[in-house]
Amino acid sequence: HAAQDFSCTTMAFRGRGRGRGGASAGGGDAAPAARKVADPNIQWLADTITCHAWNADKTKFAMCPNNTEVRIYTKSGDDWVVEQVLDEHDKVVTSIDWGANTNRIVTCGQDRNAYVWSFKNGVWKPTLVILRINRAATQVKWSPKEDKFAVASGAKCVSICYFEEDNDWWVSKHIRKHDSTVSDIAWHPGNVLLATASTDTKCRVFSTFIKGVDERPTQTPFGTKLPFGSLQGTYESAGWTHSCDWSPSGNQLVFVGHDSTITFIDLNNGAPGDFQILRVKELPFMRVKFLDETRAIAAGHSCYPVLFTNNGGTWEYTRNLDEKKGPAKKKASGTRAAFAMFQNKVTKGQDGGVANLDTKHKNSITSIQFGPGNNITTSALDGKVVFWQV
Amino acid sequence: DETQVSSYIMANTLKPYLDAVRSTLTAAMCLENFASQQVERHNKPEVEMGCDPELLMKPVVIARNAQERVLVEASVNSLRVSIGIKQADEIEVILCKKFVRFLNQRAENFFIMRRTPVEGYSISFLITNAHTESFMKHKLVDFLIQFMQDIDKEISELKLRVNARARIVAQSFLGEFQ
Repeated sequence: HAAQDFSCTTMAFRGRGRGRGGASAGGGDAAPAARKVADPNIQWLADTITCHAWNADKTKFAMCPNNTEVRIYTKSGDDWVVEQVLDEHDKVVTSIDWGANTNRIVTCGQDRNAYVWSFKNGVWKPTLVILRINRAATQVKWSPKEDKFAVASGAKCVSICYFEEDNDWWVSKHIRKHDSTVSDIAWHPGNVLLATASTDTKCRVFSTFIKGVDERPTQTPFGTKLPFGSLQGTYESAGWTHSCDWSPSGNQLVFVGHDSTITFIDLNNGAPGDFQILRVKELPFMRVKFLDETRAIAAGHSCYPVLFTNNGGTWEYTRNLDEKKGPAKKKASGTRAAFAMFQNKVTKGQDGGVANLDTKHKNSITSIQFGPGNNITTSALDGKVVFWQV
Repeated sequence: DETQVSSYIMANTLKPYLDAVRSTLTAAMCLENFASQQVERHNKPEVEMGCDPELLMKPVVIARNAQERVLVEASVNSLRVSIGIKQADEIEVILCKKFVRFLNQRAENFFIMRRTPVEGYSISFLITNAHTESFMKHKLVDFLIQFMQDIDKEISELKLRVNARARIVAQSFLGEFQ
């Protein structure tokens, strides 16, 4: 009798029909068809999506469905279908970046490898990158000029990789000085400075100047003398910093922390800059991106993206992009509610009403990218890619 | 009237207690996939490993009284919830131990249940990022709150049945001697 009750409640909280226990399932069957959802702005492509990235003209995107593959999607009518599957990693792919100018994809995973994929004769061919890290890679980003890319890792360092013509491979230089896993990296538009966010609760700015690859930077908020790996600035937070981003001009920096805060740093008057910390009522943000100099989008565990705008120098929380317009759903009352309550008790063994999330995403958002048109796209752990109009 | 007042107070503390547990669990359940910093190519629940202090959050105890309490230990990719169940007398202690043992032996079916409780508590749950990826977080929290309410009811019911059975057995046995 007791066991029956508990098995009922177990069935109730399972999001999908399939049972899952322990580690998530591996690659499995060939790319299954997307699940149909009424709204064309919501593409339900897998059980879980780790990351996604768009190509230059926003006609294709690459995503990882929480296994070792990277799937390239292209538009077919109103839906997005799998065009190719890139399968080279041994463990889950944690990050993908698609270079807009050079049309190269760089992927990194928890198998401590990164691959640069080039499109030749209709097929994507991988090139191994010598990262020299001994722990998982968490994030990878092409530099603005796409001659270098940075890989953040659990080895408490960031690998800056550049192409060496003599040996025809990608080599790396390490930036250490972190006390814990580096969770996110962001390139300054000047191609030299790199901001890093880490689980040691700090956001740091480093120089990645490589002789022979970079020209001496003419003007940055931190000056012009920037040897490789030098720490230019450190910004503290009270919780793990999950993500950071530079504004398009490179004069503003933003990062989000696990203490449900978002910190904006204004470097227009030089380093270290004036900062504003906004504390939000939502659950912590996982990703943040600048739209332009006065707008930024952050999204995370609350499952909806939030827009922040700069009004005359002060950043403020503007709106939740997933807000439902129109009259709020009427709360059930009277006989219907009583009936529903008893039905819940019988079928699920539960007393209280179990409300469904009325956001488009049903699980934490882990990636924000610039999509086609004026849209931004978010992918989340519920396996959906959603297009938002901003 | 004294018992009436104290039972009113007891009933009055249940809702704030469960609300506090609910908001703590909602906040603690913000987990992400995090590869181990200690061993390459491994992905372990950091709350169980306890190796890297920067990845662990401060443990929080929400206590209704000395016996009924919840310990929430969170980390970057996992969460351990330990519940102390009310055990008023010796019979309830035995019943609780047997009931929890029954559940613990079937821990795979519960997915999130830990096979042994944490020291000082009656039962523990370990929720990892793999669970929050396949299950919905708000429903996991609902399940835990419901579990806390139901287990007290179950143990009281079991105790009543034990007492009823004991009475019937005693009556039929002693009836022989009349």
